[in-house]
Amino acid sequence: MTALTRPAPPFSRRRWQLAPGLVFTSLVLVLMGGGLLALILRADSGPSELWQSPYLQGVIRFTAWQASLSVIGSLLIAIPIARALVRQPDLPGRAGLLRLMEMSLVMPTIVAVSGLVAVYGRRGWLAEVTEWAGGSLPWNLYGISGILLAHIFFNAPLAARVMVQTLERVPVSQRRAASQLGLGSWQLWRVLDWPALRPVMPGLAALVFSLCFTSFAIVVTLGGGPGATTIEVAIYQALRFEFDFNRAALLAFVQLLICGGLWWLVFRKNRHQAVLPDQSSSTDTGSLRADSAGWRRTTDRALIGLFALFLALPVLAIALRGVPWLARELTNPRLALWDATFRSLAIALPAGLLAVAITLALLAATSALKPGLPRSLASVSGYLPLIVPPIVLGTGLFLLIQPRLGIQGYGLTVVALINSLMALPFTLQVLRGPFQAMGTPALRVADQLDIRGWYRWRWLQWPRLKRPLALALGYGITLSLGDFGVIALFGSPAQPTLPMLLHQQLGSYQVAAATGTACWLLIFIAALFTLLSRPGRVASRSAMRDTGVTHTGVPHA
Amino acid sequence: MLEIDDLLFRYPGQAPDTPGWHFNVGIREGECVALTGPSGCGKSTLLNLVAGFLAPAGGDMRWQGQNLGPLPPWQRPVTTVFQEQNLFDHLTVAENVGLGLHPGLRLSKTQWSRIEAALETVNLGGLHNQRAGNLSGGQRQRVAVVRALLRPQPVLLLDEPMTGLDDENRTILQDLLLQARDQGKTLALVSHDIRDRQALADREVSDFFQPW
Repeated sequence: MTALTRPAPPFSRRRWQLAPGLVFTSLVLVLMGGGLLALILRADSGPSELWQSPYLQGVIRFTAWQASLSVIGSLLIAIPIARALVRQPDLPGRAGLLRLMEMSLVMPTIVAVSGLVAVYGRRGWLAEVTEWAGGSLPWNLYGISGILLAHIFFNAPLAARVMVQTLERVPVSQRRAASQLGLGSWQLWRVLDWPALRPVMPGLAALVFSLCFTSFAIVVTLGGGPGATTIEVAIYQALRFEFDFNRAALLAFVQLLICGGLWWLVFRKNRHQAVLPDQSSSTDTGSLRADSAGWRRTTDRALIGLFALFLALPVLAIALRGVPWLARELTNPRLALWDATFRSLAIALPAGLLAVAITLALLAATSALKPGLPRSLASVSGYLPLIVPPIVLGTGLFLLIQPRLGIQGYGLTVVALINSLMALPFTLQVLRGPFQAMGTPALRVADQLDIRGWYRWRWLQWPRLKRPLALALGYGITLSLGDFGVIALFGSPAQPTLPMLLHQQLGSYQVAAATGTACWLLIFIAALFTLLSRPGRVASRSAMRDTGVTHTGVPHA
Repeated sequence: MLEIDDLLFRYPGQAPDTPGWHFNVGIREGECVALTGPSGCGKSTLLNLVAGFLAPAGGDMRWQGQNLGPLPPWQRPVTTVFQEQNLFDHLTVAENVGLGLHPGLRLSKTQWSRIEAALETVNLGGLHNQRAGNLSGGQRQRVAVVRALLRPQPVLLLDEPMTGLDDENRTILQDLLLQARDQGKTLALVSHDIRDRQALADREVSDFFQPW
């Protein structure tokens, strides 16, 4: 044959695509299985405690109860907000609000809690206003009301964001037809909105349910006593204070069963599309809805304004109270904040990088495998951390590493590793689409030209993945920076990370210091995202310049 | 000679009671043959089988006596020009062509200037640093054909390469492909446009398939 003796591209063998992903898949599965097994083996009594202990039953009931209420509350708020946002595409500040709604993905729960306390707590803004008016707050933030408030604060915007995205994907032709027919609000709901939303609702409800079901930081700070404890918190208490492995194993099992069963139902019905917002934005601005004008315009704006206020107030409270404290204290080199910052970074940077690496490996393996069990395992293993309690992963890891090595800073290594696994569902969501964006035609051209292995990555994947990679890295680092669940289990209170420090400050009523720490963490995360989104901006600017040249410079040949 | 002998194909997932395809055709070296037939008769399918994008259920494909069946797409002696999406939009024109010479763009200065010179011949000189995504449809097809011609692979599989182009671009491409044939390339053309077939094809074949 002619001139086809060129050596194969580097790393073009199939095993290079498969091996890393399969290794990580097995790692996740082994950690899970090993962790569960270890917990069971350490347990000295059987599962009978589950139906004998009123405490455990109370915990499980409360966990399910608050999660269900949170789902209902979040979705009931999200639907009208999403519809109002779709009805008012020209609203000033709409894009900013949509960004603010995505913030709940990256805002550390403990920071949000401190913001909510600063607004709705006993000494918060609202209390000041009511006292000034001569009344007193009609609620207590600690307990179910605070938990629900925080869960809705996190999940209503997330749900609404996904719904806006779903509604904007309704084909323009359908929307224009509805517009010409002059359909009213109720008819639009029946004809356009609900049919579009229905397929994402089960996945969305399952996502919000499992996020609230496995909620830790919110419950541990806002929940009080045995009456308001979730499974994750109970596991934490069982291990940290009571050394009751049996109870921890039982609770972990129950959580896995309930959340796993829920997701199994959702996946079985194949209704799992797009339950996290992606980076797409609507291009349609034209099709007017008959229900978007007149008095509705006013009510929509009021509704959106209230919602924006609900989201912005805690952030504002943190900023207004935190900045002065920071300005005063930051010059103090012996501030606990500095140590905590370095410790947080030492965990979060490796965790973020590892999360992105694992995500790429999983995606590469998934796309190289034919449908079958290994591929299902590879694609599911990245989502398992949504439902697997970190304690299970941590115990598995403990078993894998501990007996053989005496690693310095073992706790922090474990935390970084588990954090990277916990970030996988989010990094996967960011990278999956762009990674799989090469369609059949492009793949065929690439195959024919022998652009495989390293060359395919270098020339075809990397240029298009740069921006999503930076974003995924941002998510990975941020989730780890804000982590409180894993560090609470494996960290030492004497060596706190930023969220731990914040929790300690909240717990000892150092409100000023707490808001300062929260503010510092927020500034940090904002700076991180600004930094990581820069290569993308540079790239798009140069793309614009290129377009300019074609239009002005070179004559059409 | 490119020989297709009793090549059988069925799409995966295709209903078992619908017929598949059964191909027979021979194309001599340096010849341009147009495959004709009603839509759905398997013209593009045959080109994709020859390129190795689809796997046959049976039969033989040979180029100069060598069996193509076991070869992956990147080792086959063919270059395909599709109707569209031949280029990678995020890369420059020169890079898109260069990937045809070396899949990792490890090119010498001489090779880069060869690419520039080739782009000149289709009136694309000066555009080599443009992103492919910024080009018009006709410009993109010209780049794709330039890449196909610079590759050493002797067989060109042309799958509606000029569909949707204006007359000016069409003429440029036809001239280019005729030159290629005269330099010894072997061309298999699928085009629903009779003008392309008249301009390019040495002969038309319509009995290359039967239901299987």
